Amino acid sequence: MMSLLVLKERLITIYQKIEVYAKPVVRFFISMLVFMVLNNSYGYDLRFNSLPIVLLLAAFCAFLPTPIMIIIAALLSFIHFYFVSKILSILVIAVFLVIYLLFIRFTPKQGYVLILMPICFLLKIPYVIPILLGIIGTPMAIIPVSCGVFLYFFIVIIKQAAQITVSMTVEDTLQLYTFVIDSLKANKEMILTIAVFAIVLLLTYFIRTRKMDHAFDIAIVTGVVVNIFVFLIGDLRLDIQDKILALVVGSIVSGIIVYVVQFFRLTLDYTAVEYVQFQDDDYYYYVKAVPKMKITVPQKNVTKINEKKVSSNRMNVKEAVKNELYDDEFEDKFDEFDDYPDEDKKR
Amino acid sequence: MLDNNKISLMTKLAIYEKDEGEDIKLSKYFKMDYLRYQIIKSVVSVTVSYLILLIIIAFYKSEYLIQEAVKLDYKAIGAKVLGIYIILLTIYVFSSIVGYSLKFDSSRKRLFQYRKNLKQLRQYYIDEENELK
Repeated sequence: MMSLLVLKERLITIYQKIEVYAKPVVRFFISMLVFMVLNNSYGYDLRFNSLPIVLLLAAFCAFLPTPIMIIIAALLSFIHFYFVSKILSILVIAVFLVIYLLFIRFTPKQGYVLILMPICFLLKIPYVIPILLGIIGTPMAIIPVSCGVFLYFFIVIIKQAAQITVSMTVEDTLQLYTFVIDSLKANKEMILTIAVFAIVLLLTYFIRTRKMDHAFDIAIVTGVVVNIFVFLIGDLRLDIQDKILALVVGSIVSGIIVYVVQFFRLTLDYTAVEYVQFQDDDYYYYVKAVPKMKITVPQKNVTKINEKKVSSNRMNVKEAVKNELYDDEFEDKFDEFDDYPDEDKKR
Repeated sequence: MLDNNKISLMTKLAIYEKDEGEDIKLSKYFKMDYLRYQIIKSVVSVTVSYLILLIIIAFYKSEYLIQEAVKLDYKAIGAKVLGIYIILLTIYVFSSIVGYSLKFDSSRKRLFQYRKNLKQLRQYYIDEENELK
């Protein structure tokens, strides 16, 4: 545990130094992964299913906000399905629109879940998302999670339909269309998955907000266990037997991933370096504001680390001074200003 | 001369403006105006998506609809379609009112701190002028 905490601190220091470059690079690799997975699973249009295109799009996304990446991924899917069948592509775009207008519009910050969900399904670890969002998010996250699950099953069905068109000589549009809707309607696995994910998310959220020791750890373990059991019951009812091993292994791996993320999150959340620029009458200021580290892990074994913290704080202070920004010394003076009569109150 | 106090204050303000830019956008609205605007947006998006869903369903049932075009009870279908639309609309309007008022109120709370910092900054400038005199 000790060495892990030390490792964490080292990683955070490194992260603070290279954050400017790290962010676009990470975004580049994530969007590359997204587009490659997408092309792999339904890259019908060979013009867009090539490495240069993927690299170009990923480079584009590295510097743009996440919603743009989602729109590009949706457009790419549209193009691929348009290549196979026009009616399928129209259906895809209509469903995307409805999902956005009815659901994602209200939780725009969690739109990335929509893309992550199908990808985690393909990596066999979809369980990571409800548990993780239960740990870091709010119950509102049920909306994007459910949409993500729906999207995954929808795409699977659309893919099946696209394969039918390949084998058919004459395209019977209506038949294809009714096939898609019928499969969607009859898909009990999808409803089961949405329900279980909602339960897991709510439960982990409920447990981690309790005021007790190790609330986060208990929440993660409960999430994993409940996930396995409810899925087992559901799968037995629906008579799905080939997925049980994948379910158990996937859930445990998901739990480990969430644990790792949780381990690094508490600190990373607060240590994002801010770059701002502004001006007054005399100067232009380009300020790099480095937050002071505060470890708030509610665990006993952190005490030793607090001694270490002093040294890292000192280092931060040095950096802060370097940037002509030294908060604490002036904090007291600010407090004096708080005593000034408030103009609003006068009125 | 660089004034560290002022720079620190301005940095805080700039970080807030960068991270919570939406708060400042919200500060230009009265609560009722903001809610009305969001409700209109919700109504439009619900209407559009309901129309899309209707088209998807109509196309799915098109065989049945064309075969039975003469015998269909259009009044009942219309009432059902309209009823679901009204229920959906009520749910969305109601939840937009609740959700966006919460959002508006929490942004006002954060803005309070921001305005306090702004006042401090103004006090700096007033003090500076007084010193010059």
